[in-house]
Amino acid sequence: MTLSSSATADHIYATGLRNQWHAVVPSHFVAPGAMRKVTALGEQWLLFRRSDGALSMLADRCPHRGAPLSLGKHLGDRVACWYHGVEVEPDGTVSSVPGLPGCSLEGKKLVTSLPVREVAGAILAYFGDEEHPEPAELTLPEPLTDPDVDAFLCYAEWDAPWRYAVENLLDPMHGAFLHHDSHTMFDGDTTAKFRIRETARGYFFEKTDQRGVNFDWVELCRTGVDWVDLSIPYPPSAGPGGAFGIVGMVCPVDVRRTGVFFWRYRRVQDWQRASWRFLYRTLIEQRHWDVLEQDRVMLEAMPADADQRENLYQHDLGVVRLRRLYRAAAEAQSTAGA
Amino acid sequence: MTDTWPYLDVHQSRTHEPTPYEYKLAATLEEVFTREGHELTDVVRGLNARQVHAADGSPWTEESFRAEMNRLGA
Ligand code: FES
Ligand SMILES: [Fe+2]
Repeated sequence: MTLSSSATADHIYATGLRNQWHAVVPSHFVAPGAMRKVTALGEQWLLFRRSDGALSMLADRCPHRGAPLSLGKHLGDRVACWYHGVEVEPDGTVSSVPGLPGCSLEGKKLVTSLPVREVAGAILAYFGDEEHPEPAELTLPEPLTDPDVDAFLCYAEWDAPWRYAVENLLDPMHGAFLHHDSHTMFDGDTTAKFRIRETARGYFFEKTDQRGVNFDWVELCRTGVDWVDLSIPYPPSAGPGGAFGIVGMVCPVDVRRTGVFFWRYRRVQDWQRASWRFLYRTLIEQRHWDVLEQDRVMLEAMPADADQRENLYQHDLGVVRLRRLYRAAAEAQSTAGA
Repeated sequence: MTDTWPYLDVHQSRTHEPTPYEYKLAATLEEVFTREGHELTDVVRGLNARQVHAADGSPWTEESFRAEMNRLGA
């Protein structure tokens, strides 16, 4: 396996938790019959899609001498390494060693291949370490599977550590300040009391004194994949259908880069659904983007030691809880010190 | 194979750059939603009152508005 259980807890904390699913890139990044190199959890991978649409995710490392398979050739149902032509199937099995037919590498599964699923326009992969190759049970976010809910995916790549991107979501209070001049978060109190409410799948971090006005609550959900759910009111200009929600996921790319996935969703049907979709494409998507850029600018400007020299207060309980949870998971996943 | 970092694309939901007609209709629709209400009858009345008509110039009916939204918001 590529992901080692002897990685240190620090490494796991910095590059993403193992033994769970993560979103990797949007589905359309890999066209039928194409392949694409991606970095995730600090490692190099190759996404490979056959012309019939079947997708696989391989370690981007030739089993011969380690050349990147992503520099190789798409042969329709397998990939050929450019260096010496070794051919690898989507499940990681070496199908042929052209330079030495009958070579003992043939027929052996020598390349890590990760279980993948495609969900609401995104590729999800299971990143098990060598002790946990079997995929964890995956329960998808209900807003992405409910037929009465309509969602648009927004994907973006930020030069910020993955955990800062999740912490930002567990910090609803920034909405009333950082996004004060936005189309959705202009309203509501700039003071609040928060509480943590544990659930079977994670926890809510929510205001005790205001709901339905700004970014007033967020739920962290750990259901085989980590995601957040939250809801923010739209102004009347957005038409019928009430608030919009966000399902958020992040891809830990490496220690300082993150792919963020935001599905903006709304519970709308019929002409109300169609008019929201029309307005979203024509006018609203740009405004959502401007809000997201405020987050990116802030997170990318955070100093590398930001979380080493803080003075936290009550609004940061959601972040503290998150770190404790992730730190404990990273320690548990590391057998480095054992 | 494209592999450029970072991917920062404002518009990920569009199939085409909106036409001037689509921009005008969207902007007016927002104004109507804000000032007139969220019912279908409010919307049709509000658009017609502002003389922002269908692409063929005819006033909106509930049916034609519904059909146009289904086309543009599919
Ligand atoms: S390194 Fe790939 S074939 Fe030799
Ligand atoms: Fe934000």
